[in-house]
Amino acid sequence: MLNRNWRIFVQSASLLGFLWLFLQTEYRGTDELAYPVSLLFRLDPLALLAAIFAPGDSDLLLLWPALVLLCLTLVFGRFFCSWLCPLGTLLDFLGGPLRRASSSFVGWPKAKYYLLAGLTLASLCGLQLFGLLDPLSIFLRSLTLAINPLWNQLANGIFDWLYQADLPLVSPAADLVYPFFRDRLLAFRQPVFLLTLFTAAVLLLLILLERLQPRFWCRNLCPLGALLGICSRHSLLQRSPLTDCSDCSLCSSRCRMGATAGAAVHSAECIRCLDCLDFCPNQRIAFSFSKGEVTGFDLSRRTLLAASVSGAIMAPLAAAAPLTGSYRNDLIRPPGAVAEDEFLRRCIRCGECMKVCIGGALHPDLLRGGAFSLWSPVLVARLGYCELDCTLCGQVCPTGAIRLLKVEEKRKTKIGLAVIDRDRCLPFARGEECLVCEEHCPTGKKAIVFDRRKVLFGSEPKELLQPRVLTELCIGCGICETRGPVSGASAINIISEGESRTPLRLL
Amino acid sequence: MLDRRQFIRNSLQSACAAGVAGVVPQLLLPPAASAAQDAVLAVRQGKEIPRLVRETLAAFGGMERFVHPGETVVVKPNIGWDRAVELAANTHPLVVQTVVQLCLEAGAKKIQIFDRTCNDPRRCYVSSGIQSAVEQIDSKRVEIVHMDRRAYKELEISDGKALNRWSFYLPALEADRLINLPIAKHHSITTLTLGMKNLMGVIGGNRGMLHRKIAESLADINTVIHSDLTLIDATRILVANGPQGGRLEDVEVRNTLIASPQIVTADAYAATLFGFQPQQIETIVAGHQRGLGEIDLSRVKQL
Repeated sequence: MLNRNWRIFVQSASLLGFLWLFLQTEYRGTDELAYPVSLLFRLDPLALLAAIFAPGDSDLLLLWPALVLLCLTLVFGRFFCSWLCPLGTLLDFLGGPLRRASSSFVGWPKAKYYLLAGLTLASLCGLQLFGLLDPLSIFLRSLTLAINPLWNQLANGIFDWLYQADLPLVSPAADLVYPFFRDRLLAFRQPVFLLTLFTAAVLLLLILLERLQPRFWCRNLCPLGALLGICSRHSLLQRSPLTDCSDCSLCSSRCRMGATAGAAVHSAECIRCLDCLDFCPNQRIAFSFSKGEVTGFDLSRRTLLAASVSGAIMAPLAAAAPLTGSYRNDLIRPPGAVAEDEFLRRCIRCGECMKVCIGGALHPDLLRGGAFSLWSPVLVARLGYCELDCTLCGQVCPTGAIRLLKVEEKRKTKIGLAVIDRDRCLPFARGEECLVCEEHCPTGKKAIVFDRRKVLFGSEPKELLQPRVLTELCIGCGICETRGPVSGASAINIISEGESRTPLRLL
Repeated sequence: MLDRRQFIRNSLQSACAAGVAGVVPQLLLPPAASAAQDAVLAVRQGKEIPRLVRETLAAFGGMERFVHPGETVVVKPNIGWDRAVELAANTHPLVVQTVVQLCLEAGAKKIQIFDRTCNDPRRCYVSSGIQSAVEQIDSKRVEIVHMDRRAYKELEISDGKALNRWSFYLPALEADRLINLPIAKHHSITTLTLGMKNLMGVIGGNRGMLHRKIAESLADINTVIHSDLTLIDATRILVANGPQGGRLEDVEVRNTLIASPQIVTADAYAATLFGFQPQQIETIVAGHQRGLGEIDLSRVKQL
């Protein structure tokens, strides 16, 4: 078999494997997940860097696979990008048809190193932005927030239509396969998320850039590619020759990474896809463990310095903004989330917690947590609530941004506080009975109680049960806000006041 | 004579035709058969639940009185909350298991068990112990399923006082027999949640809206959903912080089952377990006024 076919086989297997893990990132009848579903991020050296640079203790044991990947890269070079990376595979598979036979576009292969330098310095100084550009985060985030909702929408739409239309033969056949889809491939509930369109647009852009240049993202921008490239430069497995032969420039035009082209740092750009072994007409190319010449890292010192300084300055610049908690109270983080500053430094925006959230409560943030909180998880209680006995988000978080809580601990963790909007709450605003919030309040000894009050409603005297929140018992799970029966925004809302992770911000 | 299922089919078909013309489909049920009968009730006590269920049903001459060979049956326990068995938020799994077994023994063709839960359905089915109890029966004729979102249909409630239309779960209406298996619990807005309230688990829509006129709304819903047997699980009851509880302090063990073909008759007796007179519970009064059973326990024949 051609090397190319082997590679495509491994790429597909890896993609399917990660997709399978994605489908397992869901409650399946046991409190603990059966598989290490966030393996992708435990492999991720950028997640490792984020965890190391963050304050507080990191469970680095969780991230040892990332070290393994780095070691393997020191041996085999940047093979991850062409054999395993699911985003690279998506770009190959979906972007392949868009690619032009030849392109004179050279791109900026060094840009990714400057970007990595900037991100690393920013992260060291307190502003962690790896997550925004981590290819694995981009992949899983797109899967969670865009591709999976779209897939469910389409598949359920078709099944529903066939169910309603009741066509002969087709509908019974669809009903026959439906349980398999429902139980294995579809989400329990149609996933809905904020920022779906925006997230999809980012992925689409990366795919469209394939038109400009094959693997545009991997060549020019990917910070993980840059990090692996640095390790790859001195790796044991090297290609020879490093550049085009004098009588042939097929490599320059066909290599997806442009690794032999003049401007490239050849051994760092080559992703060891082995395609050139197949297309070289003269069988001159060899990959071997013999240490050959190493091409210089021809980075501009001035640009590198500028990028690093920019990164380092970004951190204090970002910190100069007012603290979110000092002027707004709608930033609700998942239970077990560490203090906000540390949280943002750990969260790599992978979207695993949003995928696994059983109540559909966690959504990607846009601006609630400040300018750099994009895609980090926030609880939007009107859309979903935090299930009392569920600890799944802490189980999947790869970097310790959300700590793993025991159920007993979780039940006592306050993520916020419910407050009643008396202008809209039915017993207060309209003199009608309701108490849906009290009915659903899960804290055993209920955090929502009611007072029986005689009120004069207009000229009509009424006796009513009116709800009241017990601040010391409320954990902010949000089921009252989710289930509140008034339409649109709820008449009872979760605010971040009194959350356990910032004990100083009590009432 | 049309059987119940055939009747509903026919009504729905004509309703669909009407629906095309922009009319809300109307389900015309024959007047509840039980209203004409004498009010009967069986109450049994015992610690061993499977035996207790069998003894309670034996008072009526066995499950064969309610379920006939070849019929489809829906068993509707309360699986509403993500709570363990001992916290008395959901029907006891052994009650469900034994009732399903009795239906099988009576020759039911197919038995479905489901509830529209309040917490996440998967967690409720597991934590309540009901999923594993039903799966233990291991019969192809029995299945515990999650609600199929496609099977809700908005229907007109012809005798509605608070509601004139609502969304209902068709599989519960279309089955030949519906067996209602509530657990007796405290509830702050309706005082108690018993048989009538348990049937809120087979309706769709924004159920919280019903709380505004809960007694009449529940009675309205119950005029559409006819259950053939109501068996109230009072093996343990929740006396405070209902309907989901969460504290053992709020649970009282009563080792009691209450059964009646008439939902209000069963509810009326169950109210007395909490120290109430049936007349004090608004939903029971409203149900009685709609002919759903006897509220005056002195006129009820205890078997």
